[in-house]
Amino acid sequence: MLEGLLVDLVPYDKRFREREPQWENSEATFWGSMGEWRIITKAEIERRRQRRQEASRHFSGVHFGIQTKAGKPIGTFGINWLLAHHRLAMLGAIIYEADYWGGGYGTDALLLIVDYAFDWLDLRKIWLSTMSLNARVLRQMEKVGFTMEARHKEAVFARGAWHDEVVYGLLREEWPGREAMVQKLGLRAKPPKA
Amino acid sequence: MISGTLIDLVPFEDEYALYLQEWMNSEAWLRARWWERREPHTEQHIKKFIEEIEKNDHAKLVGIQAQNGDPIGGVAWEHQWVRMRKTNLWFFAGDPRYEGTDELLDGLLMAVHYNFATRNLHRLDTYALAFDEAKIAHLQRAGFTHEGTLRQHVRWAGDYVDVLAFGILEGDWPGYEPKVRELGLQASDIPPKPKPEKPQTDEADAD
Repeated sequence: MLEGLLVDLVPYDKRFREREPQWENSEATFWGSMGEWRIITKAEIERRRQRRQEASRHFSGVHFGIQTKAGKPIGTFGINWLLAHHRLAMLGAIIYEADYWGGGYGTDALLLIVDYAFDWLDLRKIWLSTMSLNARVLRQMEKVGFTMEARHKEAVFARGAWHDEVVYGLLREEWPGREAMVQKLGLRAKPPKA
Repeated sequence: MISGTLIDLVPFEDEYALYLQEWMNSEAWLRARWWERREPHTEQHIKKFIEEIEKNDHAKLVGIQAQNGDPIGGVAWEHQWVRMRKTNLWFFAGDPRYEGTDELLDGLLMAVHYNFATRNLHRLDTYALAFDEAKIAHLQRAGFTHEGTLRQHVRWAGDYVDVLAFGILEGDWPGYEPKVRELGLQASDIPPKPKPEKPQTDEADAD
């Protein structure tokens, strides 16, 4: 388990899986999957899980659940594509519970996963991409010190229009460490939400 | 088979399958598929690679063939995202004599044209290692836009190297014929090479 100030990263267990039908059919998926509004059954979710388990033989990723300090599951954070020979990994995250958007919960989880990638997995670079429509993530990336490395024109179709896909990267030598970033951002623990 | 100006795009079988063992272990292959780990590819790897790409409805590996019938290399598209009408394209010169030639460029142009005019895609993505000047020149001549540089993205020969990201949109593609006229493609007149020996067929199998 990775312990943060607002969230912990924990095994993605049954408590998380039980929420997937509600989560997957919510707006959160739109933001976390490049603009896709899903209408998906429990059976489809299960089949997709099985397919991913088979595919995981080829992609040695790491998958955490994100929970509040009170233990409430609110999302997922993962290293989706890890290339050990390049010491390179692609990150992916979704905060499914909308009440926890914008309160520093996703940023706290991101700082934990960056530290984990560099200090435990000994990676050298991490990267991720999002759609240009996702202003919240664009702000978060700049705030945490990622560099915008590429902007793929009209690579995403969402809400009936083309948008760009924006790619961010962070090199290990650019990372000041979690403690320094917590200080810089002024992240603080807060009382659990009712 | 689809005929271009200097090359034809052909099914990746027969001679291509024979050449693939040599090609998959070549530098050109690793430059095209830079995310892969450098390791030896045996006959089993190669058979599995072809099988997996053939059973994937959203991926294709196509042979690029010179007009004298010589296999030049291949062009492929993978990781298609149906909702976005986009795919990732990669290509390589299996025969190193064709590296940087207009024949290989014509293979790229034909693949771009095929994906826009036949497969109705909106966008093609591709990447080049920063030192791969011949590939970068081909992409730029074909009309791809350099959309950014993934810094120190790949371990290569003891160093970390940048990867250049390129893209082309259907609206930026003038069509195959206008593009060929604009570029004035020139044949490189590379002589044919000896045909490879086909593996011996077991008589029992032949029966």
